[in-house]
Amino acid sequence: MVPKQTAAIQSNWMNGQASIGFRRLKSSLKNALLFIYAIFTLYPLIWLFINAFKTNDEIYSEPFALPNQWHWENFTRAWEVSGMGTAMVNSIIVTVLALALTLLLGALSANAIARFNFKLKVPIVGLFLIGMLIPIHSTLVPLFILMKKVHLLDTYSALILPYAAFELPLAIFVISAFMSSLPKEIEEAAFIDGTGYWGIFWRMMLPLSAPAIATVSILGFLRFWNDFAFPLVFINKTSLKTLPLSLSVFSNGYSTDYSLTMSAMALAVLPTIMIYLFFQEQIMKGMVAGAVKG
Amino acid sequence: MPSHTRARGFLAFCLIPSLLLFALFVLVPIVWSIYYGFFSWKGIGDAKFIGLDNYKEVLHDPVFWGALKNNAIVICASLFGQVPIALFLALLLSKSNMFQRFVRSAVFMPMVLSSVVVGLIWGYIYQPQIGIFNLVLDYLGLGSFKKEWLADPKFAIYSISLPIVWNYIGPYLVMFIGALKNIPGEIDDAVKIDGPGPFRKLFAVKLPLIWDIIKVAVVLCISGSLKSFDLVYVMTGGGPAHSTELLATYMYNNTFAIYRYGYGSAISATILIISLVLVAGSQFLMKGKSR
Repeated sequence: MVPKQTAAIQSNWMNGQASIGFRRLKSSLKNALLFIYAIFTLYPLIWLFINAFKTNDEIYSEPFALPNQWHWENFTRAWEVSGMGTAMVNSIIVTVLALALTLLLGALSANAIARFNFKLKVPIVGLFLIGMLIPIHSTLVPLFILMKKVHLLDTYSALILPYAAFELPLAIFVISAFMSSLPKEIEEAAFIDGTGYWGIFWRMMLPLSAPAIATVSILGFLRFWNDFAFPLVFINKTSLKTLPLSLSVFSNGYSTDYSLTMSAMALAVLPTIMIYLFFQEQIMKGMVAGAVKG
Repeated sequence: MPSHTRARGFLAFCLIPSLLLFALFVLVPIVWSIYYGFFSWKGIGDAKFIGLDNYKEVLHDPVFWGALKNNAIVICASLFGQVPIALFLALLLSKSNMFQRFVRSAVFMPMVLSSVVVGLIWGYIYQPQIGIFNLVLDYLGLGSFKKEWLADPKFAIYSISLPIVWNYIGPYLVMFIGALKNIPGEIDDAVKIDGPGPFRKLFAVKLPLIWDIIKVAVVLCISGSLKSFDLVYVMTGGGPAHSTELLATYMYNNTFAIYRYGYGSAISATILIISLVLVAGSQFLMKGKSR
């Protein structure tokens, strides 16, 4: 009896070993597969950055190779030749102002919706929710007509105002969801101290909602910084063009100075990639939440 | 407690600016696009009321139907490309160690890039002289399939679908990973005891449990594909010979290239109606299936 049992235990143990080996093999196979996929998915970007350092001849003759010499001067040349400085400044101005407007109005409205009860609450929330369903492109033509009538074409406001308007529903939704989770005692204590509504908003609700405001800021930054349709339609003056719009001139196919265009593109995506590396988790969560609600 | 009127004043101050901005730049344009759709207008001079003529013309324009078909192709590519790839990757990415987080971040990365840059990069990848797409085909021994991918009217829309699929896998991946994590551990244990194979485990246990998230993904694929304007505009501008025209580029080209504001408005209104019908329809269909 006893030896049989030991044999059974032993064979069980050996099976266990075998299955552990099999599992290791499976997991390394899985990781290899994932690694290949990751490189595959990153490759267009890697290719862009490598080509940005090459000369035009190298781009033609050795498309996969690393550059023989890393031509950092490509970037200074791209910066000077393609007027990226102006475009970058325009993008920064538009993005920052649109973000400020979105956050201010969004936080105020979120505060009202999350912390107060009033008759029109449900229809107002419903109105903003409908706004999230509207495809932006279906408003391009009427917005253009509107901008033309109020003489806003070719101004920063032509971008800032609609950006804020379209981002408001998401901002209100994210910030008010967060504010609703804050304890009711905040206001009660503040009222006893004699703090008014404004004081409560500026000194308590706003600082406490910092995480939600951060999420909205990151998403808004990406949306405004990358947007192309609005500047394409509303901006004509070269001096007011934002980054995506000024890059889009390379799409006509006439420009064969690839090392110039690729280094310009690399410069343009660098800020968003940096932000992504720092705030990955927030960006992923925020974008998914935004997409699902919208 | 502060008085009632003060609360009202504060609320008004909180809400009215947002409502005004939102109404002026989101709601009014919607109404206007339907309204201007009834006019013939070149952008200058008087707009002439022509009734339903613009809308009739939209419905009789073969380019419009071609654009609608191309939108359908993009939707299909998204549905059968993004969702399965994201689901497959999500099943492999069940842990959250450094390596797996890196893969997830890599897949999500295109989402933060400007779509103009994405379009330009892929335009270069397909480019016959410097592009690597044809070169890769050569290395794989598939040299006979080499083409000018974006210049061939038969293939251009499929060539454009690939970067669209590539671009938007990330959000679905994140959604699916989250959903798979939410499957309670007891279910996994129960499955282990019953001992079905990995495929039965996937189809009989896991998929039904995350079915709701898959439904959301499908709705997002459909509504999202109507938004792809930038990529197409940058890569082909809707050409060659309207072969990559989407509803959005069709609207843009009719309005801002040949200055038919009335007609463009009618197309805008049509896009709005189509997207609302599609989203409402898909949501309704998916609901019916799960019951």
